[in-house]
This record gives sequence, structure tokens and C-alpha cells, in this order.
Amino acid sequence: MALNNLRGRVAFIFDEVNFDVDQIVGVKNIKIQDIDELAAAAMQGYDPDFRSKVRPGDILVGADNFGYGHPHYPPMRAMRHLGVAGVVAESFSPGYWRGEISMGFPQASCPGVLGLVERWDEIELDWAANELRNLTKGRALPIEPLSFADRSMLEAGGLLGYLKRPVAAQ
Amino acid sequence: MGFTITEKILARVSGRASVRAGDEIMAKPDFVIAYDFPGYTDVYFKQMKEDFGIARVAEPERFAIFIDHMVPAATPKEEELHIGTRTWCAENNVPLYERKGIGHQVAAEIGYATPGAFVVHFDGHVSQLGTFGCLAMGIRRNLLEAFVRERISIKVPQTVRVNLRGTLAKGVMARDVFHHLVRVMGPASCRFQVLEIGGPALSQISTEGLQTITGLAMFTGAVTAIVNPDEARLAYALPRARKQLDPVFSDPDATYAAVHDIDLTNLEPLVVIPPTPANSRNLSEFVGLEVHAGYLGSCASGRLEDLRVAAQILQGRQVKPGFQLNVIPTSQEIMAAAGREGLISILAEAGAFVSSPSCDYCFGRIATMTANQRAVSTGTLNVRGRMGSPDSEIYLCNAATVAASAIEGAIADPRRYL
Repeated sequence: MALNNLRGRVAFIFDEVNFDVDQIVGVKNIKIQDIDELAAAAMQGYDPDFRSKVRPGDILVGADNFGYGHPHYPPMRAMRHLGVAGVVAESFSPGYWRGEISMGFPQASCPGVLGLVERWDEIELDWAANELRNLTKGRALPIEPLSFADRSMLEAGGLLGYLKRPVAAQ
Repeated sequence: MGFTITEKILARVSGRASVRAGDEIMAKPDFVIAYDFPGYTDVYFKQMKEDFGIARVAEPERFAIFIDHMVPAATPKEEELHIGTRTWCAENNVPLYERKGIGHQVAAEIGYATPGAFVVHFDGHVSQLGTFGCLAMGIRRNLLEAFVRERISIKVPQTVRVNLRGTLAKGVMARDVFHHLVRVMGPASCRFQVLEIGGPALSQISTEGLQTITGLAMFTGAVTAIVNPDEARLAYALPRARKQLDPVFSDPDATYAAVHDIDLTNLEPLVVIPPTPANSRNLSEFVGLEVHAGYLGSCASGRLEDLRVAAQILQGRQVKPGFQLNVIPTSQEIMAAAGREGLISILAEAGAFVSSPSCDYCFGRIATMTANQRAVSTGTLNVRGRMGSPDSEIYLCNAATVAASAIEGAIADPRRYL
């Protein structure tokens, strides 16, 4: 099974290093269970109109060590509900990375991405070529290849699907 | 080329003669540890049965479950979670440790920190078992893999070696050493790597202090921390070890992704200012800042040396009226020892609220702050809302600083009390 390429617009650029993703919904909203309510709280501190601008397939971009701190799952649950298809960052914090990959939410490390894209550029994440292409500006950068296990988990739609597959011969 | 302690442990548990950083392997954890928490253990128990048709875990002696959060329960729902955990453990014949203390500490006390062992948990602070030469990793929800399969998929991590040298000054504790590492190396310095701590200064850092340092490794980006155990750590860990394993050690010519030499001689007490564990500062810059609460406890503190220094500072003195000082020994074993030493009576007489072990003070479930309150804390973390309102603030520091600040009702330098 091949991993489908992601193609969409850069919905937002979090240019803060060590970005704490809980800020996306705000700590006071982190325990909201209702997905519509959670999604309504998302991005209020960054772009209050985000919800009306984002389109299915859009991609978030982050800086170095994206997801540092004590990441919870609700912020990216909200983002997925709004149609966000994945995150590309300069680099990731391991706890965040592991958590979101296990949710089947595509993440890609792309050193230099902050210099490659601007907000609303159309980009394509090519897992076979290990490349992030800026279709708007006609330039590209390599992404770091996924590990076998991470790739398998994304292909399977997350941890549960991955574990239900037969154990891969390594 | 030689191998790191991490590569040696992962070679054994993957059944290979050797592995190298970067290899993707299937590894069998020696121990699978968890505490009961909604969204984690209750979900694993359910998914095991419903999604995988597994009625019982294989080799229950490999598993250990702790009840250390929501202790004591404050709502019927919390107690229901605990009942579900007790039932599952009984059905599965899996050891359950309830009300013994914070699991990461108790795990060491009762022998899960076996030198040379590979341990997994969902919570990353389990890294503190690395004090004893045990490779202990927090893998978040992926811990489910260890409940439904014998082996888990893992990529052998690279290692960053840190050599500590020099002498710690009075009033400077292991806690400060860790936050100094974050300050000089950076919060992303060990991303996806193992933080291996060594060097001549290790001999003057207590085992308890090393548990603090290794337990906070995640804030350097590390997937865990590990120490090549010396005689003192082995003397603690081997008699309790739950598994007969030969301790392993990094070879002198092991390959490291980076090597840092860090001199501790001129280190001062530090404070980590909100809202991120990346914000290490010299304590002296913040002396005098009004604080309303103090927390001495958590899996990153609350051990005997922390209680001793707090008692030394508070003996014959009083917590400032209105200041809320909570002192929570990390385990029952520690609390009992502190009682025998007379530390508990000194702390209580000084006005501290001393309570039995629980994780609940660290994440604001109890002793909850409201907006505009500010705490000094030895807890693990200072992100917004960690100890209550998102508009409260947490200044992380060592145990001596918490005690001194409790006297003054303001961030205080403990050295003038020592």
C-alpha cells in the first residue's frame, strides 16, 4: 500500500520554535469533548477567521521542535475536523510526533520549509520522492524519509489499523 | 567501533547479535508499565478484547500497573476507573501497585529498574529508570502495541553523550543540573535521541538526584536518558532486580551523535519561568517575585534529599501566613523514611501541608490554582494550566528554593538559609 501524496494550501505557518500545540485551542479548552465546539475554539488566538478560510486538504507548517511541551491530542483533532490533512515542520518534538503518527495524521520533517513556503501557497507532499514541492512558487525541498513503522502506521490510518495488520517481516 | 549501552540493550531484546542506531527492529520489552488513566489503560483493556480478541495478556509478570493518579479518588467516575483497573489486573494476573507512591519511583524501589532491561510506558517520565542502566521509554498511545504483541517496533536511537564535571555549589541540586542542560544544549538538542549522562561529577550526584535528571529528559527532546550504572546504582538496583540480566555499559569507542562536556562548578540555582520548560534562568533574576503556593513533590522531586533540604531550611521557621506549601513525598517508602528521620514533624510544625504520595498535585487536579496565582514548584512541567487556571503561573525550581520561598512568600534564594 502506498501512502497518498498530500496536496493543499498552506493554511497557517506557526513560526514559533518549540511551539506548544495546546495553544491552538487554548489550554482552557483542552478538555472540550464535543468536536464542533473544539473546532470553534481552534485558532482563535492566531486567526479568528481560520475556520472559514481553511479547506479540506490544507496543510499546516511549523518551525523547529514543533510540538514541544506537553502535547495533548485535542488541538489536532480539531484541525483534522476542519479538514487539515497534515503538518510539515522544520523538525518535530518526539512526543508530539509519535502521538499524531499513531492517530494516522501525516507529519513530515522538512528542514528549510519556513523559507520554502508562504501562507496560502499550494504545496504537495510527495512521500515516494521524499520531497515537498511548492507548486505556487515552483521550488522544492527534500523531506526526511519516514521510518518503516511510521510509514506503515500512516498507511494503515493509525495505530489500530497498523496493529491489525500481520506483523511485517523485518 | 563499539556500542552504546542503548544499542546493547536493544540488541538483546531484538534477538540480534548487534544493532546500530538507525536500525528498525522488533523488540520485546522486559517490562511493560502503565498507570491507570482515562484514554490510556481503560482504552487498552477494551481494545485488547474488542479489537484484537485477546482475553489475557501473555506473560503477565512482564506487566505492572500503578494507581497513582486520582489518588484518592474525588469523583465516582474516578473510582470506577480504578475499579476497572483492579478488575483487569486480577483477571490478567498482572501485578497492581496502588497507593504505594508515584509509579516511576516505586518501579525503581521494587525492581523494575533492572540494569540492562528494556522498559516501556506511555508516560515519558519513566526515563528515570535510566538512572540504573535500564532503557525506559515513554511511547504514548503506542504502548498498546506492547499489550497486543510480544514485540514492538522501534528504531534504534542515536545517543547524545553528556559528560558532567566540576563540583556542585551549596544550594545547587540535581534539578538545577537538568535545567542547565536544557539551557546550554537547548530544548531540541537530543530530539529522538537518547541522553546518556556520565562524567566525573556523577559520583557526587545522588541516585535520587540522577532520577530527577533522567526523569526530565523529554525536555531536551530525548526519547529517554540513561546512565552507565556505577557501584552505588548497582548496589541499589541489583538486589531488587526482577530479572536476571547482566548489566551492560557503553564501550569507550561507542559512536555518539554529539558529546557535550558541561562544567557544573559555577552553576547557580535556576528557575524555569512559564510557560515552557525551555525557559531556564538564574534564580537570582527572579528573587523577590511574589508567589502564593509551593509544591514539593512529583516524580521529579519529593525524595529524601529534597525533604531533608526543605526540613533543614524550615526547621524553627514558619511558612508565611497565607502561603500554601504542599509537601508530597514521592512514595510510601520515602514518606516512612522521612518520618523515621523526623523530617515530617519539622515540615508539619513549620506549617507545610504534608500529604501521602499522589501524582495529583503535579497536574492541578488538587491544590488547584486560580487566575493570577503563582507557584514555585518541583513538579515536572510549567506549561499554561498545568496546575489549574491557564492564567496561573508555575516557576519550576529545586526543593530548597520551594522551601525558602515558602518562608518569604516570594521567590527566595535558598543559600542564605543553608
